[in-house]
Order: sequence, then structure tokens, then C-alpha cells
Amino acid sequence: MNMKTLATVIVFSTLGIALSAQAHDPKEHMKDAEKPDCAAMKNMDHSKMDMNDPVMQAMMKQCMNDTHNNDSEKDQAQADHQASEESSGDQHSEHQH
Amino acid sequence: MPTLTTFIKSLVITTVIALVGGGLFLYSGLYPMGADAPHNRLTYWLLETLRERSVARAASDIKVPGDLNAPERLLAGGADYNDMCAGCHLKPGKTESDFTLGLYPAPPNLTLAGDEHGHEHTGDTENDDEAIKRQFWIIKHGIKASGMPAWGPGHDDERIWNMVAFLKRLPELSPDQYQILTARGQDSEGHGH
Repeated sequence: MNMKTLATVIVFSTLGIALSAQAHDPKEHMKDAEKPDCAAMKNMDHSKMDMNDPVMQAMMKQCMNDTHNNDSEKDQAQADHQASEESSGDQHSEHQH
Repeated sequence: MPTLTTFIKSLVITTVIALVGGGLFLYSGLYPMGADAPHNRLTYWLLETLRERSVARAASDIKVPGDLNAPERLLAGGADYNDMCAGCHLKPGKTESDFTLGLYPAPPNLTLAGDEHGHEHTGDTENDDEAIKRQFWIIKHGIKASGMPAWGPGHDDERIWNMVAFLKRLPELSPDQYQILTARGQDSEGHGH
């Protein structure tokens, strides 16, 4: 009986610790996450931009990541498109045979 | 000797009257507790002094990381600030929200420099250091009965330092800069969140 009680206490404490460790994961915010409006950087006064300023470096980093992601998405879309064209081409040639 | 006896008697009587009077006032329910009825000056001063002295003492031993200016910290802290703090402490281009209008004491507008939102920073390194420690402590532990929660239980110290790093630069940011720095986009994991 004592062992059962002890096991229950241990199970609930472990569960509590595990749940508290997951508190406020940034992924929770990803559903409604805004994308950075990097186009706005073009309208900023470039003469006042200091490339050594951490704010500027952070914005560049953010927009580089964004561009990289967009490029990856485009590459992926192109690859998918090519793959589908090839497969439809194969199907088309199969039909010709 | 009669003088000392009289003094002690007077002290005891005054103390008893103060305790009984205080108790009666406490239980009378006469003090307005609504957030839309400001404290009187004495109560405000007492509570503010209590808060500021307590935070200053508790934050005095905190070690400030040397890399608070790292761009990665701005990106990680900015996204968290936008999600967790901007509703009360505002963002560039906003001057009020339902929270700033309704909370008492009103949450400071952190898009303004320290001296504009009620905390005098003189700009010298020592005072800046104290302000940074103070911000870290307040984010981590919160402030009783003010609406400011303790973020420490769900956030590690590094994540809180990232928010402090972002707060340092927030008053200088334009709405466009703020949007870029705080957007989580698709790659927030790449920022070390």
C-alpha cells in the first residue's frame, strides 16, 4: 500500500516537473508569427545606417534569414515543379508508347 | 523618574491608539481599492519607496553578461518582448492600450527613454548598469500587486537577458525597425530562441 502511494507521488511529481519544463515554448507563438517586413529597410535613410550598430546587424541578420527562407521556398517550389513536369513528361511519353 | 514613566505611558497609549485606529480603518473598508481611484500621495510614496528600495537591494548582486549588445540577443529578446510585454509596455508608434489605461499603477511606456517614463537614468555606466540589473530582476520576479508577472518560472535567465538587451535599444527604434526585429517569421529557432 505504501509502495503504491509512493509510486503515485513519484509519478505526479515527475509529470509536474516535465510539464513545468515545457512552459512557454516560443513555438507556441509560431502559429500567428508575423514575417519581418524587410521591404521597409529599402525606405530607411541609408546615410544614417551604421553597419556596426547591433540593431542594424540584427535587422540584416533577420532579413538575410528571411531571404534565405524565401529562396529555399522558391527552390523547393521550383524543384517540385520540375519533378512534377518530369513525371508528367514520363507519363506523357508512356502514353506515346 | 516621573518624566520617564510619563514618557513610557504616553508611548504605550499612542501605540495602542495607532494600532486600534489602524485596525478599525482596515476593517472599516473605507480605503478605495479600485484601480481607477489613485492612492493618496502618502500611500503612493510609501509603496513606491518600498518597491524601489526592495528591488535595488535584491538586484544589487546580479552579474550583467558582457554580450548584451549581440544582435542575436536583440532578435531573440525582441520576439519575446512583442509577445509578452508590448500589450502593457507598448511598442513604437503606440501611446496607449487598454492595459495602460486600466492598470494602476500604469505600466511604464518602455518605448520612451528611462527619464521619460519615470526612472531617471543619468546615462553614466554605473547607473545604466543598475537600471539593467533592475530590469532583469523585475522581469524575472515581477512586482507584487502591480500586474507585473514573474516570468522567471517559465523562462531561463538567458531568455530574460535577451529581453533586457532588447529593452536597452527599444527607445531608439522606429516602428519599421521594431517590426523587423520582433517578427518571429519562420526561422525563430535559428535565432537561438
